[in-house]
Amino acid sequence: MAPGLDKLQHIVVLMMENRSFDHMLGSLKAVNPNIDGYVDGDPYTNPDANNKPVKPHPSAKFQGQLQPDPDHHFPAVDLQIFGKDSDPKANNRQPNMQGFVASYFNQQRNLAHSQMILYYFPKENLPVLTTLALEFAVFNRWFASIPGPTICNRAFAHYGTSFGRVDLNPIYPPETIKSVYSRLINADPKRTAKVYYYDTTSSTMEVANLLQNEPELFGTFKQFLEDCDNADLPDYSFIEPNYSDHQGDSGALIANDQHPDHNVRAGEIFIAEVYQAIKNNPQLWESTALLITYDEHGGIFDHVPPPNCVADKFKADGNATGVGADFHFDRLGVRVPTILVSPWIPAGKVENRVFDHASIPATITKFFLGDYSADRSPREINADIFIEPQGGTVDRARNLLSLDVMRTDCPDFDV
Amino acid sequence: MALIAVPKPPKNAYDPNRPMGSLLKSQVDHMREAESKLPLKYRNQIETYVKAVRTEGEAARYIQAVTKAIHLAHEDAERDRRAPRPVPVAKPVIEIAAVADASELKPKRTRKRPPSKSKKGAGPKRRRK
Repeated sequence: MAPGLDKLQHIVVLMMENRSFDHMLGSLKAVNPNIDGYVDGDPYTNPDANNKPVKPHPSAKFQGQLQPDPDHHFPAVDLQIFGKDSDPKANNRQPNMQGFVASYFNQQRNLAHSQMILYYFPKENLPVLTTLALEFAVFNRWFASIPGPTICNRAFAHYGTSFGRVDLNPIYPPETIKSVYSRLINADPKRTAKVYYYDTTSSTMEVANLLQNEPELFGTFKQFLEDCDNADLPDYSFIEPNYSDHQGDSGALIANDQHPDHNVRAGEIFIAEVYQAIKNNPQLWESTALLITYDEHGGIFDHVPPPNCVADKFKADGNATGVGADFHFDRLGVRVPTILVSPWIPAGKVENRVFDHASIPATITKFFLGDYSADRSPREINADIFIEPQGGTVDRARNLLSLDVMRTDCPDFDV
Repeated sequence: MALIAVPKPPKNAYDPNRPMGSLLKSQVDHMREAESKLPLKYRNQIETYVKAVRTEGEAARYIQAVTKAIHLAHEDAERDRRAPRPVPVAKPVIEIAAVADASELKPKRTRKRPPSKSKKGAGPKRRRK
């Protein structure tokens, strides 16, 4: 018996920008020791430019602290994960998460400033994200798909692979691997899917393919709110935040993607708006699961070494990676905050299985299409799913929507 | 559970003149590439302007222009596909069909090749000057 799964009709994914798990949710370890975060007294440190150990500190600010934008391109992330004494061309390197301060120091050569990369938010400063993490399911081991920047990591959420890219260049997938949206809308019976960008002024990060070739897949955040009001959400929705400060139709709009150095509180409001839009419609609330995640860590510290994974069928050569060594997509990126919200999830759930953004198309495809025989990347095929399929025997240990009765005590935010 | 307050960012957090970061720059680059593939009439004559984009506000204006142009180009194409096609005038269609039918019914004639010597007199006569 799995009434939460039986009721589930809609899955919504909200992908924010460039914050690490420890930076945003690490402080929750003090509240729930099962959450693998950081508390004062933990042994984790990073060497500064003088090799003096520096500890993480709960002094993260909403804005004005992470300037310049911490480097999170492939060579910098390689340094952050493996430390400054590791040779990228060496075999059997062990990630130690010792290079964050060294990497940030490289950008300004400023000893004091470089330590800010180890700052994290106290729980009370992020009331939305931390409340949702404590009230629903938080993932201890959800990693970015690649130790690299935004576009290639977001590609994993759309296609289950970045087709060999580790950078911000446009991605042109081969015909055989379809986006998760194309899979759904071309299925028989037909399914529905939409990418909601904030507005036309912010638009999408998936320009080269989805916007250019299939603009009908897109809607605005305003439309998302209307679709929630009318219980007219598609089967699968992917939401993008506002990536820039700009003039919108209703006046000044502040970036809410939380990308440094955008204001983190604006992102808190945005997350709460998405959550409340679903929750405020009882019909939708009982039949929708909301996944909140971040595309990558943005160069900010995390203490958990990313694990190896199955190699993709694409590779990036030494020139593309910028470190002189090929990358076979056989290691995940740095850990990011990820939360699954549903009234069928018990409060305080902490999930320890390993996921990355390839788990998104893997889950959506399995849930809505069942066994999908068309071409998919090895990374997606081997990625774990975060929502179990409907029907048949449900593995209770894996089912996050595990309650027999829907909760009525879920939080509400004043937005 | 009590309603949870969500503090707002201060008004001075808004800064459209903030220099655009690498992510926005890449988005602008992608838009520029997408714009270059649009038919000329959708391009907004901003090909040179994009090179001057420096701030978030400027990037946003360019991104909006191209996003709208992409949508418009696809909507126009869709409208063209759905537009009723001109119906050919009935009479010629029937005649053509009738002729086609008739030709099918008639036994095919095989043209006999005239013997090579009987070329004389075949075809239009030419006047001798």
